[in-house]
Amino acid sequence: MNKETIEVLARSAGLAKALAEFPEDVTVAAKQAADVAQKVKRPADPRAEPWPPMKAGTTL
Amino acid sequence: MAADEGGDDAMSDLHWMTVGAAARAIAAKELSPVDLTKALLDRIEKLDPTLNAFIRVDGEAAMQAAKAAETEARSGRLRGPLHGVPVGIKDIIDVAGLPTTCHSKVLQDNMATADAVCVEKLRGAGAIVLGKLSTHEFAIGGPSFDLPWPPARNPWNPDHHPGGSSSGSGSGVAAGLFPMALGTDTGGSVRNPASCCGIVGLKPTYGLVSRRGVFPLSFTLDHVGPMTRTVADNALMLETIAGHDPLDPGSAAASQGHYGAALDRSLRGLRVGFVRHFHEIDTPADPEVTAALEHVARSLQLEGADLRDVKLPTLGEFGAVNRVNLQSEAWSIHGPWLSDRPGDYGQLSRQRLMAGAFMSAGDYMLASRRRLQMIAEVEAALREVDVLLCASSMDPACRIEDAVEVARTYPRQARTPFNVTGHPALAMMAGLSKGGLPVSVQFVGRYFDEATVFQVARAWERAAGTDKKHPAIG
Repeated sequence: MNKETIEVLARSAGLAKALAEFPEDVTVAAKQAADVAQKVKRPADPRAEPWPPMKAGTTL
Repeated sequence: MAADEGGDDAMSDLHWMTVGAAARAIAAKELSPVDLTKALLDRIEKLDPTLNAFIRVDGEAAMQAAKAAETEARSGRLRGPLHGVPVGIKDIIDVAGLPTTCHSKVLQDNMATADAVCVEKLRGAGAIVLGKLSTHEFAIGGPSFDLPWPPARNPWNPDHHPGGSSSGSGSGVAAGLFPMALGTDTGGSVRNPASCCGIVGLKPTYGLVSRRGVFPLSFTLDHVGPMTRTVADNALMLETIAGHDPLDPGSAAASQGHYGAALDRSLRGLRVGFVRHFHEIDTPADPEVTAALEHVARSLQLEGADLRDVKLPTLGEFGAVNRVNLQSEAWSIHGPWLSDRPGDYGQLSRQRLMAGAFMSAGDYMLASRRRLQMIAEVEAALREVDVLLCASSMDPACRIEDAVEVARTYPRQARTPFNVTGHPALAMMAGLSKGGLPVSVQFVGRYFDEATVFQVARAWERAAGTDKKHPAIG
């Protein structure tokens, strides 16, 4: 993720003040997010459901 | 620092008394709750300036509660199985009349008007609240030196960190400031301090303990758990705090109860699955940790367990799923404050909580879909074995002021898998390193089968005498 993209995303998320006061922290956060998100394997089956499921009135 | 192998029941060593021993002595009118509470408050006054386990000691209220407990005990009226026994509460959990600060400037004056359900249950069983305990800021950012209160330190060596985020809970239980504490665990935050401080910490099955009145970090990953010096005390504490709460949307419909029922049962025939790849391949552990885990495995075999190797998804992927879900959900809570007052957060939590702003809905849903597959994979393993054995921390605790080493060692752990899947997981001491710091082991069970987890943990505790090992402090 490049600097311009980070700034656009940060502003659209409401982080303009953080961007002005803590620009390095915003960059670290953006890089953390990109790093972990790309490590999640996409389920091969397009029908794979998420957890927690939408189950009215029940739990685990 | 050498381990103190003192006994637990000596009345002269009130600070090392177990929850069970103290409760029995109070019920038998052999111990005064006032004497016990006073002894612990004196120890807190002496040691806490070094350990920083507390954000706020509520000594006056604790002594009042102890006097009431004594009067009740004298007249034979016991509130419950914890009558007169002091407890510490992590400061993201509400205690009526005290601020829930989450160790943050953001909530410095956040007065709680009611007890969290778990605190209400402890008080209902007779426990005495000593005060609010240090945590990593909002249970995510620490150890930090840029917050309104200093971070807790490890009683085995105060130059080292005590783990987190339930750091005051782990430090205080291990140091004999109180025999039990409440912690919370979203990515391992009960089990990390239990591992670093050599005590027993349980993340129960997701939904077993109500989260109502606990400041959230991640709705689908948060758990409240007991922290104690012995396995039996942990089961006793869980027995008190478990149970359905119709006002907690994540609360499970039923609990099994009788968590201590199998504590002294033989392991003969019990199938234990050893997840070796966690610490041998995914995140290679410190050799002392590897040796300790092998020692635990051999001991369980000697106790009659049938040991098998088990393979699960990698730690790297479990960690990624945990982080995407955690940071996305946390951003939904902290976004408005991070927009308006980012400077009121410490740097570590600011960085970690803002990460959620850069996760997409697609990232979150993908992690949630992969999560269900991971749950199925752990469930499949637990159909072949009764309990899993694996690493908790890959290293002993490092020096707290060495930020580089803290950043290197913190992610080297095998706890997040069981926040992702919701299975019960207990961390405890596996031995002491050559440097005199605890190393740890983790046991994981089927949903709502905490009793079997306790059974295996107790067998190890009995074999190794880990409940008799205390830091030589104070």
